[in-house]
Amino acid sequence: MANLLWLQGGACSGNTMSFLNAEEPSACDLVTDFGINILWHPSLGMELGDNLQKLLKSCISGETPLDIFVFEGTVVQAPDGTGEWNRFAGRAMKDWVTELCDAAQYVVAIGDCATYGGIPATAPNPSESTGMQFLKREHGGFLGTDFASKAGLPVINIPGCPCHPDWVTQILVAVASGRGGEIGLDEFQRPKTFFSSFTQTGCTRNMHFAYKVSATEFGQRKGCLFYDLGCRGPMTHSPCNRILWNRQSSKTRAGMPCLGCTEPEFPFFDLEPGTLFKTQTVMGVPKDLPTGVDKTGYVKLTGAAKAAAPAWAEEDIFVV
Amino acid sequence: MGDTNIRTEIQELLEGGLETEIYPRADTSEDVNKIVNRLQKSGASLIEKLAIAGFTLNTIEHGGIEQPCETCMYYLVHRKYCELPELDVPVEPEWSCRLWRI
Repeated sequence: MANLLWLQGGACSGNTMSFLNAEEPSACDLVTDFGINILWHPSLGMELGDNLQKLLKSCISGETPLDIFVFEGTVVQAPDGTGEWNRFAGRAMKDWVTELCDAAQYVVAIGDCATYGGIPATAPNPSESTGMQFLKREHGGFLGTDFASKAGLPVINIPGCPCHPDWVTQILVAVASGRGGEIGLDEFQRPKTFFSSFTQTGCTRNMHFAYKVSATEFGQRKGCLFYDLGCRGPMTHSPCNRILWNRQSSKTRAGMPCLGCTEPEFPFFDLEPGTLFKTQTVMGVPKDLPTGVDKTGYVKLTGAAKAAAPAWAEEDIFVV
Repeated sequence: MGDTNIRTEIQELLEGGLETEIYPRADTSEDVNKIVNRLQKSGASLIEKLAIAGFTLNTIEHGGIEQPCETCMYYLVHRKYCELPELDVPVEPEWSCRLWRI
């Protein structure tokens, strides 16, 4: 039996909504098949008021062993570092977070806000929001660079806006079944098993990427979304096209450009109007090239690939 | 009018001295947006499209990179066609315009 506590800071509850839709395994499977005891969750917890405070204090004191502490949303520090803008159970949420992280065997940050700050931490960041152990790309965040949970791991970051439900439940199962130490993390503390490949990996529009055929308008069923419509699939680490959403599809498969929500910089472009769905260019060349590709190589490859594009690549090959 | 006829008309217009805004090239996304906005407001006039986009019958080199239609992302190789919605015209591979992007 592994005790799990889930709290929300500066959050929209999107990751909770996602989590409750998990299928492999489902949220119910966590309880019935994998021995996870959900002590409290904002949408599932029964305790209120004094009873909730008692539960939280019991976790902090160690009376109730806290195996997994899950945090969703940013750590709000406004105003002036007090955290009073986000009060919970009688005190600033950030103070609960500090003490619960010290008590937990494992700390798991869920979603882009908890991992890297996400949208709330975008300038001018009036809520003084930060991620648990990162603020965008900067290591440290709320808990500091040296933080390690009792099991010896830093915060396990599962980013996304929201993150895929199965990424969450599969990591929770790994931790609950004693394999937490086997979770390899990348430089941004994301589980490598999910975040080593790119969103582009498995995208059904890959052949259009290869032949440099662009989608130029939404609704087109041919063409790659990277060249003109702002898709960040070639430089975003996620398994969105390997572990499909609702077991059916993905943003790019449905014709929606990847927004790069599993990367620390999300949201990109400081949300300036007209930038979200338009590939940013410098002298005609994309400002952000596919990971590992340099400008010279990109221009050469593109010219050659386009010249070799077969006629079918320029036509709508998908049918209903 | 078929693609061939329009392509011929464009060639004759440019050979006949139609002045187009070849420079400044659209170096930044803001530059691109400004030109595209002008195209959207200009309506469907072929001459205005050619002028605003800065069409030329020869390839322009800019910043050390050649910018022919044939390597542009909006170019359909087999139809010899510019698919940028605001232009939407048949072209030749060696032509060029300042909205070129790769």
